Amino acid sequence: MGHASLIPAGRKSAGRLLIVLTSLLLAATVIFQILDASGVLAFGLPDWRPSLYAYIVWAVSMGISQVMMRGEAGHKALFLLPALLFTIAMVIFPTVFGFYIAFSEWNLSSFDGQKFNGLDNLRTLYNDSYFWNALRNMTFYVASVLLQYALAFGLALLLNADIRARKFFRVAFLLPFMLSPVAVSWMIGKSLMEFRFGPLAGLARHLGWENPAFFATPWIARFNILALDAWVWLPFMIILILAGLQAMPKDIQEAAKVDGAAGWTSFWHITFPLMLPVSVTTIVLRIIFQLKLADIVINTTSGGPGGATDTVSSFIFREYRDRSNVGYGTMAAEVYLIIIIIFITILLNLVGRFMRREAAQ
Amino acid sequence: MKVEEYNQLLGMQTDRRSLLKGAAGVAALGATGGLGSAAVSGSALAADSLRASILKIPGVGKGSPGDAEWQKVGEMCLEATKANVKPGEFKGVELNFMGLNNQNLHNMLFRGFLKPWEAYTGAKINWIDLAQADYNARLQQSIATKTVDFDILEMGAPFEGDVCGKGLASVMPDWVKKQIDIEDYSDYLKPPVGTWDGKTYRVTIDGDCHNFNYRTDYFSDAELAKAWKAEGHQGEWAVPKTWQKVNEVTKFLKGKKIKGQDAIGYLDPAKGWGGFGFYFLEDRATAYVKHPDNKAWLFDPENMKPLVNNPGWVRAIQDVIDCLPSEPADQLNADPGTTAFQQFLAGTGSMLSWWGDVGSMANTSDTSVIGNDVAFDILPGSDDVYNYKTAKWEKLASGPNVSPNCAYLGWGVYVMARVDADPKKQKAAWSAAAHLGGKDLSLWMVMYPSGMQVHRNSHSDIAEWVGAGYNKDYITSYLKSQFGSYNHPNRAIEPRIPGIFQYYSVAEDELAKVFAGKMTAQQGADSIAAAWDKLTDQIGRENQLKLYRASLGM
Repeated sequence: MGHASLIPAGRKSAGRLLIVLTSLLLAATVIFQILDASGVLAFGLPDWRPSLYAYIVWAVSMGISQVMMRGEAGHKALFLLPALLFTIAMVIFPTVFGFYIAFSEWNLSSFDGQKFNGLDNLRTLYNDSYFWNALRNMTFYVASVLLQYALAFGLALLLNADIRARKFFRVAFLLPFMLSPVAVSWMIGKSLMEFRFGPLAGLARHLGWENPAFFATPWIARFNILALDAWVWLPFMIILILAGLQAMPKDIQEAAKVDGAAGWTSFWHITFPLMLPVSVTTIVLRIIFQLKLADIVINTTSGGPGGATDTVSSFIFREYRDRSNVGYGTMAAEVYLIIIIIFITILLNLVGRFMRREAAQ
Repeated sequence: MKVEEYNQLLGMQTDRRSLLKGAAGVAALGATGGLGSAAVSGSALAADSLRASILKIPGVGKGSPGDAEWQKVGEMCLEATKANVKPGEFKGVELNFMGLNNQNLHNMLFRGFLKPWEAYTGAKINWIDLAQADYNARLQQSIATKTVDFDILEMGAPFEGDVCGKGLASVMPDWVKKQIDIEDYSDYLKPPVGTWDGKTYRVTIDGDCHNFNYRTDYFSDAELAKAWKAEGHQGEWAVPKTWQKVNEVTKFLKGKKIKGQDAIGYLDPAKGWGGFGFYFLEDRATAYVKHPDNKAWLFDPENMKPLVNNPGWVRAIQDVIDCLPSEPADQLNADPGTTAFQQFLAGTGSMLSWWGDVGSMANTSDTSVIGNDVAFDILPGSDDVYNYKTAKWEKLASGPNVSPNCAYLGWGVYVMARVDADPKKQKAAWSAAAHLGGKDLSLWMVMYPSGMQVHRNSHSDIAEWVGAGYNKDYITSYLKSQFGSYNHPNRAIEPRIPGIFQYYSVAEDELAKVFAGKMTAQQGADSIAAAWDKLTDQIGRENQLKLYRASLGM
């Protein structure tokens, strides 16, 4: 405040003027391009680069004017502003612009190009059995996160204990996370689990499973996809939980030990409640990643058999890549985004309440 | 020729030197050069000697050719260009060429072939190299966003609807037709393929079709023959010539053993493959639905109503459902890549339809265990054929109905309409395309690794192949299977309408449900038909109908 008041009024108003002018320039360019693209004007600009350049000019002038108007505080704002403007350009704008595409019929092979079609895509999506099937599968995949969490917690406890070669195990457990899910789907899903020559199929035969087809029946395929995905992502959960375990104050556990609490009692009454905040973060983050599941499914089963392993993302991928159905694919993606936002909001809300109740106890 | 095929052909044949020593070699050389024939003209002799000379670069069996060889061949084949273009005529012209870089072939070869052309004409070519997986998306986005940034395009015939149908390609001038001797193309690559509304657009550089690959050891196995008789099957134990027999053999083999291993019949890919999997249902269906009297087999050419749910198609789908229990236990998760490379070449299964790659990789691929026990033929036929016009199954007087599936139709070179505004640039682009698709150059391409298959009648001259160093018996059988499919009068030709792979892809999704037992064959076929109808409306029914008819030459 003190610095800002030292700034001459002329400089302040020059900064303000700069913002106004470049904002006007940006608005005018965009409006001009919209009119040109819709055929009201007939300049026939080949692309939208003028709007992009106007945005860059506006973005730079925003930075300059911040310094001009607010001095030291403006300098500080410069640390944040480029990231913010970049996010607006690369994340927020495409998401909003996506709605414009979502309400249109746009098949890349269509003769008429993009056509506004109101709520048609939404209606189609509502009646699309592939979408609902994928969504149902997602509930299974998301529900499995609790099981993954339990596994990860157990492994984290082991890695936190005084075991031999602890450092080696910590690194070893991290390795799957370093692999690309695409590589995992090929290495494991399509090689190790290959019906004829895959070593895992060989082992299964040895154990008495005559026809170890890992991806040919719905539930077996679903569990195997889940296993592949969990194998990649468990280390991520383990790291978070392990960090939580190591940050936990030792004196509480020692006091519990003095009081005679050990083993299960100690875990259930001391460790688990203390780990709740970390656990919640871990689960929520993992759910967000789980909702994006696509690569392993696309590579290993293409959503089959008969849609049993399909995910919403792999469904959208097919609409987009194989069928060039841009309008409908975008609508599916936007609706899925909204469903995720609502789901996560409710989840966080419930978790918040649960945590407050726990704290009160 | 595809690399694998080239390697395999080399592996199959006898030593070239001993071959040339033999009388067959002498006779072949004589035939190639037209020696002793007083009737041949001087230019024909020169052409023949040019063909014989380029085929010696580097010589079949003398290592893989590289950039130096490609440039040399390009240089030697320049005569046709020189007849139409003056030296330096295209000075200052720059052309963008978009094509593939699969296996370091395609564009890599084209660069070498066109280097001497650039030096002679003065034009300059900029290259846009694409991986196969990026090709469709890049092309469709360029079209949809009106950002076509290339002048010459290497493209498969299925995309002709998207490009030629939308007026994006330049019409081939007559001098180009003459220069490339367009009449020499195999029948199935002649119009309507490469044309739209009677206008020619494509310089063909490749051919494609699905063949029938089978295991010779299965069909010469005495135990199986005995069991076949004992179970009361009609006819001898032999390679099936109809799909009815393929199904019968497949079910018969369930539970049998061959060389101590489980015997398996035909291999159906029950999992989708980005749209390409639908070709394999077509393989079964064409014999049932492609009536010799009708050109159409996928859509009704009167109204674009899908034919995919007629009794012929439903029978093909039902065949797959009925055969799957006799096929490997993981078949529901097997796409065409699995059936070919993890099953058939690895020793599982005895019958498979595929592109030419499989038959030829049997000997060269490290993962292949079937060695010389493989042979190939045109696709099986059917005892009866469904005539959608009379809505009846018919038995033809000529015997089983055969309809080889000419899936994909190979690569071609196209010139984009954006060069038409500038006559000099237009001529330059067409001259480059004509050079690549030249008659002599094409012979070299199909004999050496290039990614291209035989596609001209002149490629069937056994003497030229033998003269270049190929084994006569093997090349005869190889060419017979290729040209037998290409030239079949009832061949099924790819409907080159816009978005054809969208139709295939949506069908794959429905078929996956059918094969998983969630729907009957008829329900699945009806769902495909409904989805296709919707897609046709989305892309534009009237235009689709027009283009479909054009693609059938109607």
